[in-house]
Amino acid sequence: MTASWVTDAHVMVVAGKGGVGSSTAAAALALVAARDGASVIIISVDGRPGLGPLLGGRPLDGIDRILQTVGTGSSKGVIRGRTIPPQAAFADYLELKGINTMLRKAASAASLDSIAAATPGLEHLLVLGKIKELERERAADLIIVDAPPAGHAAAFLRSAAALQKVVTSGPVRTQADEIAEMLADRTRCQGLLVTVPEETPVNELVELAYDIEEELGLTLAPIIVNACWPDRDGLALTPVAAAKQQNIKLSAANKAALDGSSEFGRVRLDIQRRQLARLDEQLALPRIMLPRLATARLGPAELETIADALGVEPTLAVTG
Amino acid sequence: MSAELAAMIENADLLVTCGPGGVGKTTTAAALGIAAARNGRKVVVVTVDPARRLADALGIDVDAHMFDPHEVEGVGANGGSLWALMLDAETVFDRMIVDRSGDAAKAQKILDNPVYRSIAGSLSGAQDYMAVERLHQLHTSGDYDLVIIDTPPSRDAIDLLEAPDRLVRFLGHPIYRALTLPSRSFAKVTNAGTSAFLWVVRKLAGPKLVEDTIEFFRSLSGMEQGLRQRAAEAAVLLRARSTSFVLVSSPRAEAVGESLHLANAILDGGFRLDGVVVNLVHPMPAPLVGLDDVPPGPLADQVAYHRELTALAESERAEMAELLHLADGVAVAEVPLLEVDVHDIEGLTRLAHLIID
Repeated sequence: MTASWVTDAHVMVVAGKGGVGSSTAAAALALVAARDGASVIIISVDGRPGLGPLLGGRPLDGIDRILQTVGTGSSKGVIRGRTIPPQAAFADYLELKGINTMLRKAASAASLDSIAAATPGLEHLLVLGKIKELERERAADLIIVDAPPAGHAAAFLRSAAALQKVVTSGPVRTQADEIAEMLADRTRCQGLLVTVPEETPVNELVELAYDIEEELGLTLAPIIVNACWPDRDGLALTPVAAAKQQNIKLSAANKAALDGSSEFGRVRLDIQRRQLARLDEQLALPRIMLPRLATARLGPAELETIADALGVEPTLAVTG
Repeated sequence: MSAELAAMIENADLLVTCGPGGVGKTTTAAALGIAAARNGRKVVVVTVDPARRLADALGIDVDAHMFDPHEVEGVGANGGSLWALMLDAETVFDRMIVDRSGDAAKAQKILDNPVYRSIAGSLSGAQDYMAVERLHQLHTSGDYDLVIIDTPPSRDAIDLLEAPDRLVRFLGHPIYRALTLPSRSFAKVTNAGTSAFLWVVRKLAGPKLVEDTIEFFRSLSGMEQGLRQRAAEAAVLLRARSTSFVLVSSPRAEAVGESLHLANAILDGGFRLDGVVVNLVHPMPAPLVGLDDVPPGPLADQVAYHRELTALAESERAEMAELLHLADGVAVAEVPLLEVDVHDIEGLTRLAHLIID
């Protein structure tokens, strides 16, 4: 049985600073939900095609496609994936709003779709609007949104609120209001923030968490700490002391090799522990740790391992 | 590590660092600035979105919306100095409006327009355009020997290089062009496409937005020529012999893939790619001999960690290999993952040595 937090809301927006692995976490989340028989759509906001192959399918594009099915029979889970090109989102928007033919013709005569896609803030709003429609029609049990990297994630999520300031009436305003409503409803939408146990990524996660929770009322799911080294108690000793405890004699070459790696490992583990403590102290949110794998390239096999670690109940932060 | 990179920071007038997010691009830009300042050059490092502690180290107040660089104390040597500026797109945009409109009342009208305010803050590419605008100003001011600009993270192409053209295209769209023609009111906009556009916008977003939009584009009329000229000047400056691009990456597959795309965009665009810096590389431990069947215990932990680190380090070296042999004449530096996050002058100086020496 999947951890309950995974399907608490219909939409999960996954975000983190560049390089911390938020797309990987989004893909692993899709796998976790699908293993439990859920239908999942994963959406890449900045149109990164790579999520498709990572989930065993074709590179993502604007067409909704099945990437992978998990299990069989009644518990069969399906993962679909797509991007949302803003121009297509605008065309959909005119359709959905039941806008009359004359208006639609005028919009197309004025090539409003290309203008809308190039217009500040509107691009993000159109994409969020499409996500909101998918949520409304319950297009899947879980809609996973791979948000743009950190700085842009806040701008993306804030686009509706920003538009509310400029547009005071009309359907665009209604659209912005409806998106703001979805973001603030914890049963409909939550944010999954991803970081790694290092100083700058932790700082930026904390900032992003406060920003979106306070400004937008977006509820946060557990914090995901990616790329964690496993705790190895034996690293606390020197290689010589460790060998002595196990009555093994180390050659000079092996001693030198282990001295180097163990020293590096101690330092990294120490940084990890300190940063996790800072995270708990500053956010006091439940968290889940994902392992650092011994490879620089993640593929479908590694994703399975990461999904195993993700699909658990989070540990509660212990704060003083 | 690289004499070629040392020569580059000696000779270039303008350095552009680019690369994917999360690879230490800003830190690298600052370290290169320190190295040049210690060699007697007057250097300004322009960053877009520095992490808080790095900003602190450079004496940047991220909320101050500064326009001019300030000196970073205690860095320069041999007559050199380091200056820093965090680029605030809105501030640069505002200043440009004031400079170009030539009339304080007219400028204020634009600055107060809600459409302008939302564009200045969030126009996709506004930040990139303003970075180009500002680096051009700093370069032509003659106040600095070397300008280093740290570009926003990018992946397929270098947004910064395309930004001037994109802004000109945006303003040159027939609809907007019609809007900027002098005429007094919405009723007088006679271009059929434009009036249809305004009618649709009015239906979708209400009459107030239409008024604001018309007013905004009207007030920009006359500035387009200047923007076009600046775009052309920037294109020349970015391709000058004394301008060097430095690609910054990490050894992870996704980052390397994005960096290779960027390298192609730089080379195809006729820009000079002079350096590649691969940051955050895990150290390769010396090999173990034997020790295959250590029973569980502290030594087994140590051996397991050694094997894992070795596998990771080997995998990283395989991924980054292509980046290290991009083209003839491209200097490369490999920077190990340091045991501390770099966020003070001391750390940056150490990083500078790792890149340059």
